[in-house]
Amino acid sequence: MSHTLTHIDFRRNSQTVPPNILAATQKNTRTAVLKRAEAVEQLGVAYWEQLRQAGHDLRLHSITHLDHYLPQLESKVIAAGGQVHWADDAEHARQIVVEIARQHHATRVTKVKSMLSEEIELNDALRDAGITALETDLGEYIVQLDGSRPSHPTNPSLHYTKEYIADLFQRKLGVNAPPEPTALTEIARVKLRDEFLAAEMGISGGNFLVAETGTLVLVTNEGNGRMCTTLPPVHVAVVGIEKVIPDWSCAAILLQLLARSTTGQQISSYTTFITGTRAGGPREFHLVLLDNGRTRILQDVHARETLLCIRCGACANICPVFNQVGGHAYGWAYSGPIGAILSPQLIGTRLAGDLPFASSLCGACAETCPVKIPIPEILLHLRHRVVEGDRFARPVAPAILRVGTQAGTLALALSWLYALGTRILKFAQLPFKRGEWLPALPPPANRWTMVRPFPAFGADFRAWWRRRVTSGR
Amino acid sequence: MNSTRDPILNRVNDALRDARRQTMPVLPREPRVSGDVNARIAGTMAAIEYVSGKTRRVKSKDELRKALAELVNAEHVKKATVWENQELQEVGILEMLSQLDVEIVSPRADKHDLAQCDLGVTSADVVLPQTGTLALRTTPEQAEIVSLLPRVHLAIFRPSALRADLAEVLTQVKDRPHAVLITGPSRTADIEKTLAIGVHGPKMLHVWSYEE
Repeated sequence: MSHTLTHIDFRRNSQTVPPNILAATQKNTRTAVLKRAEAVEQLGVAYWEQLRQAGHDLRLHSITHLDHYLPQLESKVIAAGGQVHWADDAEHARQIVVEIARQHHATRVTKVKSMLSEEIELNDALRDAGITALETDLGEYIVQLDGSRPSHPTNPSLHYTKEYIADLFQRKLGVNAPPEPTALTEIARVKLRDEFLAAEMGISGGNFLVAETGTLVLVTNEGNGRMCTTLPPVHVAVVGIEKVIPDWSCAAILLQLLARSTTGQQISSYTTFITGTRAGGPREFHLVLLDNGRTRILQDVHARETLLCIRCGACANICPVFNQVGGHAYGWAYSGPIGAILSPQLIGTRLAGDLPFASSLCGACAETCPVKIPIPEILLHLRHRVVEGDRFARPVAPAILRVGTQAGTLALALSWLYALGTRILKFAQLPFKRGEWLPALPPPANRWTMVRPFPAFGADFRAWWRRRVTSGR
Repeated sequence: MNSTRDPILNRVNDALRDARRQTMPVLPREPRVSGDVNARIAGTMAAIEYVSGKTRRVKSKDELRKALAELVNAEHVKKATVWENQELQEVGILEMLSQLDVEIVSPRADKHDLAQCDLGVTSADVVLPQTGTLALRTTPEQAEIVSLLPRVHLAIFRPSALRADLAEVLTQVKDRPHAVLITGPSRTADIEKTLAIGVHGPKMLHVWSYEE
């Protein structure tokens, strides 16, 4: 979809993760998992489970009624003085945002952390248009200073230690920075204060869009979200079409789920509700509604629930694979289990076909997900799409693997063919057999034996069974 | 507005043509905090302290004057900005601050001037005891900037502001063009998941109940 995207090689990516990044990731996710568990305990597990079920059902209601809620949202935003834009894809969304900036001669833009902004590579487009876009969430600010990418949906600087950040601040900002979170935070506060006041435009994503009133809901902790959506004369929010919810009672449910799942807080420091324009706020409010493949996901009955996601990041924190490879191995904006199901559907299995296999299917993600997305089932469905293709994706697995799986399907379906195969294999294995093992097989079976030996084909189970039955035992 | 609207909505329609439509579930309500007003205010204050806010229960105008004097002294307040709503005018916050030699900046002043304020004073229209959350509705008299730019934010609420649960709080703000829920001072845990208080918003949140 984007000119910069190439095939994501998960195996290679996961082998090149620096050990210090892994250590920081594991330390931070462990804390996050514990804090979440405490918050759930404090609220009461029984009520928490009620909330999760309600969260799942109301989100599924929302996305299976998008045809109703999207037009309602649009008319309410316009009635409240806002402007609504519709973007087919990433390129289109970038054009819309750059054009709004140009109309207002904006050259300095402050941004609220948004995964969708990473998805559409908005910062690159703004830079190419001569616009300075500054990330203002502390984690994103650190990542941007380092010229890196976020490694986690809600905690972009998850892969850094305080020592690294202190060194980074010293190098890039020329200040004396002790490796203490509070001192480092104070440095960022001072540096960014002037930028907030000078910004000519603010850009945000959105946690939810309430159709009932046309309201954008933004959940933040640092206050940067409020700065970016209050101080500049123009506010542009770029939000995926799946973020719509029917009404404010639904918002109440999701707000109870979100912060506890993300940071283990009962509620975030700030929840901002923005409905069109207001006296004393930005003169213009633009809402850019982005498709970029979401309607295609909606069409796939087996994968539709991917769109329920509220981007809390809890699935990444709990995931044993994420904890072994870090967020960058997932190769694109979305990491962790949700990235493994979202990326292949948004950018295609041809580019991200590795990702559905980047899981042990242990199911921890589905157990922790606040809106109960059946991630393991969707992973399996996507593996099927990668290997055999379906009406949404052409198969991307190598031809030999495709032929192999089809031959396997056939052999398992016809008992005489299966019997014949086992006999042939007993002889075919002879050149590779070393004792009871097959230590090295030719391609493509060497993908197995390069990791571990394969046990030699031995007794014939069917013949053994027949003998057992006839001997009357 | 633009030509992509209809194609996107058409794709949505296509995708949902044969889809099983989920009905709207019955939504669970939050556990209530029991007890009388006194206990509920105490619960609110405990929740605010839990998220690093500072609280105080004020019973009269004289106590309020005394509390303000202590706050101005402790936080070295030289400049302040105050919501211009009726509630705060009635209790006379502006006069009290002036008597304490605090320079008052209008909330309609330039944002650079407001950024120099040490203290912003607001009321809280709606309060949720369970989490110590304040709901601030933005109006021309209740500028958002007052609770955002100054280093210290003081919010004063009356017992009548207390609500039963988050859903009820939201029904009180849904008809406004802008509102913000505030729970504690601004914070981050972006560096090694270690809590740091005071990022871009106020570094200090004081919440006082005014139980006249």
